[in-house]
Amino acid sequence: MATTTPRPVESRPEGQPRPARPRHNFETWSWFFMRVSGLALLFLALTHFALTHIVNDVVETDFDFVANRWDNPLWRVFDWALLSLALLHGLNGLRLIVDDYVRVPARRAATKAVLYTTSGVLFAYGTLTILTFPSSG
Amino acid sequence: MGQPLVPEAALKPTSTTYRGKSGQWAFVGHRVSGFLVFLFLLLHIVDVSLANTSERLYDEVHELYGNVLLRLFEVGLLFALLFHALNGLRIVVVDFFPGAVRNERVLLAWVVFLTLAAGIPGGYVIMKPWIDGTF
Repeated sequence: MATTTPRPVESRPEGQPRPARPRHNFETWSWFFMRVSGLALLFLALTHFALTHIVNDVVETDFDFVANRWDNPLWRVFDWALLSLALLHGLNGLRLIVDDYVRVPARRAATKAVLYTTSGVLFAYGTLTILTFPSSG
Repeated sequence: MGQPLVPEAALKPTSTTYRGKSGQWAFVGHRVSGFLVFLFLLLHIVDVSLANTSERLYDEVHELYGNVLLRLFEVGLLFALLFHALNGLRIVVVDFFPGAVRNERVLLAWVVFLTLAAGIPGGYVIMKPWIDGTF
């Protein structure tokens, strides 16, 4: 279109420095975290799924399979990275969804309380499982 | 929290309807697939953690995953994971390479194509024991 948009009029007096704005607030880091963790999860989650459903059939991933795998501490690190990144990535995604759809403040607070509690408890439970699973070696 | 961009009173009830442009469907698909994968993750943490309670209990619960219905569920999980992963990659590409916005629809077509191209053979492998009648 041929019309030109006028430049926004600034209300600060001539010569005054531009007021400092927070350039990196929580939501900026949230945005950045989703991208970085998402890239990591693309590798972690798809590798995990391929190993437990494609390379091995799901019925083969029994107790002995888990015991064998967790004899190697690197697999425990892999699984813990997957657990924590997936939970945090999912939790943050759900937080944004709740903000979008749960508009009543009290209901929003209650929904988030359930979300954070569930994720926190399951993070602790999963971490405990990976850490305390007995090594057979 | 800022002010809403449009005053709520000015919104007609119909104005929240999705008009079906591809980017909006990608947005909906991303949310739904992410939500479903998150729910499965919660379940999965519990079922794996049974291994610490009892070997027998873990194996008994785990055998359920070989059931036809749960195999179909796993195929669904694979499609949700693939779409979410690939569409997420598309979002990262668009965010970090602003020029990519111009090819946004082509990128989405690739996301859908790759989801199907990996999901269909993957789904076949998951269903194969049932197709062959070995499980």
